[in-house]
Amino acid sequence: MSRPARNRWLIAGLGLIAAATVVVSAVVYHVPDPAISPALTHRTPDATRGEYIAVLGDCAFCHTETAGPSYAGGRAFSTPLGTIYSSNITPDRDTGIGAYTLADFVRVMRLGVKPDGTRLYPAMPYTAYAKVADEDLQDLFAYVQSDIAPLPVASRATHIPWPLSIRWPLALWNAAFHDDSRFVTDGSKDSQWNRGAYLVQGLAHCGTCHTPRGIFFEEKDLRGRSNLYLSGSGLDATSPINLRGNSGDGLGRWSTADIATLLKSGRSEHSAVTGTMADAVRHSTQYMTDQDVTSIAIYVKSLSPAPEHGRASFVASDSTMSTIMAGSERSPGGRIYLDSCAACHRLSGSGENSTFPTLAGNPSVLSSDPSSLIGVILEGGRVPSTAAAPSGLAMPGFGWRYSDADIAALATFTRSSWGNNAPPVTAAKVAGIRDQLRSGRPDH
Amino acid sequence: MSSNDGQTSRRDFLATTLALAPLAVTVVGQTAAQSINGEQLPSSSPAPDHPSVPDYRPSYFTSAEWAFINAACARIIPADEHGPGAVELGVPQYIDRQMGTPWADGGIWYMQGPFFAGAPEFGYQSQLTPKQQYRMGIKAIDTLCHERLNMPFVALTAAQQDDVLKQIEKGSLTSTELPLSTFFSGFLLRNVMEGYFGDPMYGGNKDMAAWKMIGYPGVRADYLEWVGQAKPYPYGPVSIYGKRG
Ligand code: HEC
Ligand code: HEC
Ligand code: HEC
Repeated sequence: MSRPARNRWLIAGLGLIAAATVVVSAVVYHVPDPAISPALTHRTPDATRGEYIAVLGDCAFCHTETAGPSYAGGRAFSTPLGTIYSSNITPDRDTGIGAYTLADFVRVMRLGVKPDGTRLYPAMPYTAYAKVADEDLQDLFAYVQSDIAPLPVASRATHIPWPLSIRWPLALWNAAFHDDSRFVTDGSKDSQWNRGAYLVQGLAHCGTCHTPRGIFFEEKDLRGRSNLYLSGSGLDATSPINLRGNSGDGLGRWSTADIATLLKSGRSEHSAVTGTMADAVRHSTQYMTDQDVTSIAIYVKSLSPAPEHGRASFVASDSTMSTIMAGSERSPGGRIYLDSCAACHRLSGSGENSTFPTLAGNPSVLSSDPSSLIGVILEGGRVPSTAAAPSGLAMPGFGWRYSDADIAALATFTRSSWGNNAPPVTAAKVAGIRDQLRSGRPDH
Repeated sequence: MSSNDGQTSRRDFLATTLALAPLAVTVVGQTAAQSINGEQLPSSSPAPDHPSVPDYRPSYFTSAEWAFINAACARIIPADEHGPGAVELGVPQYIDRQMGTPWADGGIWYMQGPFFAGAPEFGYQSQLTPKQQYRMGIKAIDTLCHERLNMPFVALTAAQQDDVLKQIEKGSLTSTELPLSTFFSGFLLRNVMEGYFGDPMYGGNKDMAAWKMIGYPGVRADYLEWVGQAKPYPYGPVSIYGKRG
């Protein structure tokens, strides 16, 4: 190649890089317009309604450190990159959001962009809050600004090593994956279904936990366009179940009332919430109105089954029970079940109504990712004490008593007994969850 | 009389309530495990596992006392056609290990005066700690054996040992040093039964042999489904640490 030709290539290359830089900086340093409806300026915000919106959005749990002052932030979130902390969202002008305008607030809630252009990590579920209507955000803002006491608590710096701690690439992530559209009412469905869909996709952000994620940690569907939406995930040593209509690992065998009761009380006749789902019930869903939990249940119940491939199935069977009764249960997992679990969950795996969850056909047991099952065996759990069901029944942890191989055998037994038919669990998987739970502890 | 009674019963009340205090401390003092849902759950793990070992060396008892404990255990629960004896199941180890607990120093009781020889319904009234009971009790028994048969307890024949223990239990063989029947019934005999039938993690009941002998399934805690079945329970016992016998 001749010298001038090479120079031309070089110049073209540099030009391309420069153009790309311009485009990238335009994306990265752009403080986007939150697009609020002009009609809002004539509307009087309702802070009392805003307080209920905060409950629907579960703001208090994430924005309050364990035993710390409400809304002053500081709760730790471990992400694949490192630990980040929630912000102080009290109306303190210097450390909280006291200096925010409504536009600033809406921008951060829908786009994850702070007034100075700093990008938030999607641990703050703006990916779901983008669906929330203008009026709801306006009322929420009024509540946060006028009914919460300002507290001067400086937000804690993230523990993410450089260069991963640089936030501007989040702008590219947003450009690639963020769906900033508002919730769209489906005219073919009734208002209750639409209310449920609005809450699930928006404020209640069920999808941030229950929708599977892609390799860039993006939710594969943010508004129920495909049957991957809410089809189950694996997140921080837990496995939010498939909420779609599959009859094995999904909610196909649940009634609308079962789902509503679970959200309201933390338990249904046959199951109980554990782990992060218990937090969601403890701090948010139990305080939702009966109408709202029923709407959510109606919407969730309307979801078609997710692709069946590789999923668990359930067809009730009493052969496990007869083998044990005959004294011929020899499998290591079955013997551990008999020794440590049957006293509460019974030999039949059917537990006790409203007291000990049924393990036969339980979606949490049948989930493709067995993390929640392993977690509850290792560390136990406590049903949240709710106004509808105050007793905080607990299950003891068994991590101290059994090796990874023992727990794998036990989990495999529960996933393949009483008609449950889910793939086995390996000791390596148990070891991984044990590690994750250990390193997630504050004393670590 | 009435003022005495008042004091005694108050002391007894204090003793019972204080006995519960260490329990509260153990529960609170456990390393609180953080559950996955961010709520503090008390750890469910028990005290460390100390099953009986073949070459146990006592840490409280002197070698003479250790010989006495072994000899007494062998007479209180001898090996016979029903099952193994207390010595084979590690009961002496259990008792020596108990001497290392706060209980052995009276640490879980109200142990300040006044001390009265109260009626039995007022419970243990002595100022002697369990450790002192063993030290003084063994010495007193050996002194009695020397006075009467010119030999320490361990050198007596099995029949003679049985006779000494029976007389102490009945109260017909007494010592000026301490109430021997209290030592025998309240400590030695009681601790032998605890070690024999307790969980193997405390050093006795080796391999859950005592449980197997009586058909007790251990800490499985539940056989509801078998109630009403006209056949024996089909599974062997399980211990607190999840071992199976
Ligand atoms: C799942 C946890 C979670 C929930 C639920 C949540 N947040 Fe956040 N929020 C966070 C985290 C974490 C951050 C900080 C993210 C970062 O530093 O990148 C944050 C940041 C914010 C900020 C930015 C404040 C600033 O200037 O630094 C605001 C405002 C906010 N949240 C408001 C809310 C409101 C209002 C709700 C309820 C509707 C809510 N959040 C619910 C986790 C949560
Ligand atoms: C913070 C994460 C998180 C959020 C938000 C969340 N879930 Fe869950 N959910 C989980 C996890 C983890 C499980 C599995 C553990 C369990 O079974 O309780 C679960 C389980 C469930 C179950 C089955 C419970 C059982 O007893 O087996 C239902 C039903 C459910 N979620 C519904 C919802 C609905 C509806 C929403 C939105 C209103 C929601 N979840 C929001 C994490 C979450
Ligand atoms: C003392 C009674 C008790 C024992 C023993 C016990 N559990 Fe549980 N189990 C419970 C209670 C209570 C809950 C509800 C806890 C919660 O919601 O966090 C529960 C919850 C569960 C769940 C979650 C169910 C759901 O709907 O999400 C699973 C899975 C489970 N137990 C399995 C086991 C296994 C396996 C064992 C044996 C190692 C065991 N349990 C031993 C009482 C017990």
